Amino acid sequence: MAIDYGPASTGVAHGTPPPGGFRVATDPAATVIRIPAALGALDRVATFVLGLGERAALPASALYRLRLAADELTTNIVMHGYRGAPGEITVDGGIDPDQVWVRFQDDAPAFDPRQGLRPPALDQPLAERRIGGLGVYLAFTAVDGFAYDLVAGRNVSTLVMLRRAEPRPPGGTDVSDEPTE
Amino acid sequence: MSFDIRLRINERIAVIELTGELDAAAAGRFHDTVDEAATAGAIELVIHAAHLSYLSSAGLRSLVFARQKMGDEVRIAVVGAPEPVARTIRLAGFDHSISLVDA
Repeated sequence: MAIDYGPASTGVAHGTPPPGGFRVATDPAATVIRIPAALGALDRVATFVLGLGERAALPASALYRLRLAADELTTNIVMHGYRGAPGEITVDGGIDPDQVWVRFQDDAPAFDPRQGLRPPALDQPLAERRIGGLGVYLAFTAVDGFAYDLVAGRNVSTLVMLRRAEPRPPGGTDVSDEPTE
Repeated sequence: MSFDIRLRINERIAVIELTGELDAAAAGRFHDTVDEAATAGAIELVIHAAHLSYLSSAGLRSLVFARQKMGDEVRIAVVGAPEPVARTIRLAGFDHSISLVDA
């Protein structure tokens, strides 16, 4: 499973690489929201990410997975970063010619989400599973790229979803992603 | 974002109907409803998910809780889950222990 994502080739000549090694454009369409570190704010993240992905014309499956990753990452920051303490999360994002990116910045104690990643123990009965780390696993497997950096004491995590025609998921029946002539 | 949950129990078969988006903010209600079904002594748990448009790991935790609380002898089925929701359940490996029906 590829988690680290090297500098992306975006074709944008004057992009400003954000922390984490991604090259993204200084996109005039980039927007930002600031939310309290609380589960009640998850819907604002979802609205933000879904709006961004729809503007980028992401296929339905990619849009769902980007939202899932953003939702899981935000939940992780709230639960394992701030741990109930008051705080704020800044979420911004943008659309490049070949990818959509969403970046999260918070002031919780330094915490690389990848440390909590734990693939499901498929050989264990469900009732005996340790479930911690499942959300991070779902997040990382949902997107095409993830990066984390600690910048001046701030946690900075970036999700990337490529804008490309994606293969139909196994068993998928959604025809909305079909190219039209 | 909205989430709605309904529980009915007939002859010890608990049926939970989920509608909307099940994220960490909504997961407490799902957990409590699963707990109510288990406490009522349900011998089977059927979760209708045809109108569940989103499922995060927080909802999956409640499925683990259901398995832990109800025991291995209780059949737990998720019925009619949309493809992205079913995909998440499979990716987590929960389909080994929970029946995915019409998904």
